[in-house]
Amino acid sequence: MESTQPNGTPRAVSRRAFLRASAAVSAGLAAAGGRALPRAHAQGAPRRGGTLRVGFYIEAATMDPHLSGSKIDRQVYHNLYEPLFVLDVKLGLKPGLAESWQQPDPRGIVLRLRRGVKFHDGTEFNAEAARFNFERMRTDPRSVRKGEVASIDTVEVVDPYTIKLHLKRPDAALLAALTDRAGMMVSPRVVQERGPDLERNARGAGTGPFQFVEWVKDDHILLRRNDGYWNKQGGPYLDQIRYRPIPDDTVKLASLQSGEIDVMDYVQPRDVAAVKADRNLVEVDVPSLASFGYMLNHTRPPFNNRALRQAVASALDVEQIVKAVWLGVGVPSNGPIPPSSWAYDASIRPIRRDLARAKAKLAEGGQPNGFSFTVTTNNIPINVQEAEVMQAQLAEAGITMRIKLVDSAALLSDGNGRNFEMITYQWSGRPDPDGNTYQFFRTTPGVSLNWSGISNARLDALLDRSREVADRTERRKIFGEITRILHDELPMIFIVHPIEPKAFSPRVQGYEPVPDGMMRFKDVWLK
Amino acid sequence: MGRLLVRRLVATLPVLVLVTTGVFALLHLTPGDPIDAMMAESVDASVKEALRRELGLDRPIPVQYLAWVRRALRGDLGRSIRNREPVVEDVGRRLRPTLQLAGLALAVALALAVPIGLVSAARRNTVVDGAGTAFALVGICMPNFLIALLLIFVFGVRLRWLPISGYTDPFEEPLAGLRSLALPALTLGLAFAAVIARTLRSSLIEALAEDYVRTARAKGLSEGHVLAGHALRNGLIPVVTVLGLQLGALIGGAVITEYVFALPGVGRLVVDAVFARDYPLVQGVVLLIALGYVATNLVVDLLYGWLDPRIRYR
Repeated sequence: MESTQPNGTPRAVSRRAFLRASAAVSAGLAAAGGRALPRAHAQGAPRRGGTLRVGFYIEAATMDPHLSGSKIDRQVYHNLYEPLFVLDVKLGLKPGLAESWQQPDPRGIVLRLRRGVKFHDGTEFNAEAARFNFERMRTDPRSVRKGEVASIDTVEVVDPYTIKLHLKRPDAALLAALTDRAGMMVSPRVVQERGPDLERNARGAGTGPFQFVEWVKDDHILLRRNDGYWNKQGGPYLDQIRYRPIPDDTVKLASLQSGEIDVMDYVQPRDVAAVKADRNLVEVDVPSLASFGYMLNHTRPPFNNRALRQAVASALDVEQIVKAVWLGVGVPSNGPIPPSSWAYDASIRPIRRDLARAKAKLAEGGQPNGFSFTVTTNNIPINVQEAEVMQAQLAEAGITMRIKLVDSAALLSDGNGRNFEMITYQWSGRPDPDGNTYQFFRTTPGVSLNWSGISNARLDALLDRSREVADRTERRKIFGEITRILHDELPMIFIVHPIEPKAFSPRVQGYEPVPDGMMRFKDVWLK
Repeated sequence: MGRLLVRRLVATLPVLVLVTTGVFALLHLTPGDPIDAMMAESVDASVKEALRRELGLDRPIPVQYLAWVRRALRGDLGRSIRNREPVVEDVGRRLRPTLQLAGLALAVALALAVPIGLVSAARRNTVVDGAGTAFALVGICMPNFLIALLLIFVFGVRLRWLPISGYTDPFEEPLAGLRSLALPALTLGLAFAAVIARTLRSSLIEALAEDYVRTARAKGLSEGHVLAGHALRNGLIPVVTVLGLQLGALIGGAVITEYVFALPGVGRLVVDAVFARDYPLVQGVVLLIALGYVATNLVVDLLYGWLDPRIRYR
């Protein structure tokens, strides 16, 4: 759960534009809604040169995409490495290092790879290299990618520029997973020659528009333009990108205002109004894939009682929480799938506050006079505020909520050990709805991300089905049905789909916000 | 002198044992697990188990502690769990900015505190003394982060004289380096100066009431000479004590100041390491901090003897 690190919450297009975008998508007009996501002030002809200075909230963890478990790493990777497929601003799949794909049968995917692509070390990207990468993700003892490529049985090299993935089971979510770290191709020669040092030094390792120069720990990561980049359309224009960790949000904003950095990765909701009002800054709201809420523990009292779960859900006012705590920098959540997704169903409303229903459900659950429970949440300001607002709302229904504040490491161990009654869950989200649903709500034995312990046969069947069906309209229907079951069974109370606001100096041109929050700088230039 | 050193060094051993066992126990008793924290997104329990075994985290805590001590005695503090780098390297890299910051902060503090303390003591209960007291009160009462943000706002955002965040090594680029450390050093130095100025003032006032000062005045020495030549040195003993304690703390890293100014120092390192439950890293840094305290206190004790020859160590 990368996003539960302090200040690591992902969010950024105005709320109105965001809602408009989601409305367009939900109406099935995805193709028509192109205006909703503004380009950051593209004006004039792009100019080459300059160093883009990016401020980050935390130091990167590793330069090896197959070993990375932290969101911040991905920001760098999307300029340094390239995935087989690329997300467009509407979360559609565009060809990346794979030019096209075919699915001759549900258990086989044929990928035609791009020709003439070279890694930064001069070696060629081809079918053997792709196979090497998949094998590494599947078998390296330290690989964090195993789960994402688990459905792949074998990888066959068909010809020098074609591979075929043989699957153990149909997996409709696999291609979307190949738009991020699981699809990123690393130079086999670098992996073999450099060994573990790749984690600190990615020189020559990628194929992306920028190549690695140096990483001075705790100070900066420097990339420079790859002049041999295969795609001759548009950028890269920038000479260099320099990433700097600035942990304090206020100081990061001050650094942007004073011109020390040109981009900041995330603006806290409390600062959004000030940034929008500042004529010397450009704010871009990027819709995210994230889903924030609270897991309820189905395996022990009080929330092994469905009526009590429903009582809590009916006593909460999600709209008010998003307005008061998130200051409107997010959308009230109706379920695990964010409005930026093609699978979002706007006809499903967030659960409404209904105190009469809450009382009725309390009685039904055998606690007509209310009950008390403990929520475990992260000790960072916005989480604490949210918990306090919820506490007040629940009190009106006669439900007492105690707040237990912990740091993220303790939170994870409480969650993995099912040692909680209610616990915060902030998921940064995945482009395919599968990544926001299956692993959380499917019956799984042992330790898993299904912290609530929900086990529902109908839900399981629908989740399995969602992986087998390839057709989007059909899948969207399935996810709608899943969401309705979740409203009733409540393994999780859904609060907000946060927006991820980013701020730029007006010099920065040509930034396209993709809803995964990753900043791709290929076509960005400095005025 | 030599015997003193040896004795003091031997005396530090129990301190180090106590500190390291304490931290080791506390860390492992705190809920949370480094592997969970590192691989939060991975559901694959077998991968996590394998990693735990590889890192020896599945062994009983006392066994882990003894293994750590055995390696530490050979100078090997292990590797960080999060970024798999040798702890010694990680800490060594972070120590540089921290020590430079501590040194500069000390210089700022002394440059401010000694004149203020001297004047306040010499002109006791005048407007000048009142101004000195007011300065000290502000310095002591204002939390570090507030001073930091004010300085950032004034010198970084408004006037744009100095960089707000980041670090350049002054030994590589002297000017840029000093500029990058200016605001943090000022932040720490102000609070530090306030404490020193107060301590110096009161100890000087005491010294000025001593017989030898009267004798000096009776000899016809100028007031300045009396202050600087006679009273100051005697008044410095409590100041040195305060300095030693504060410097010891600074070597452990000025956490908030480093965090606000994005300085890659020891303080930030240890906080990040605690959040990641990076056991070897936390252990390594704590050991270093303990050593830092022991060393500065030793220096302070030696300074006492130099400042006041009546103090003898046997």
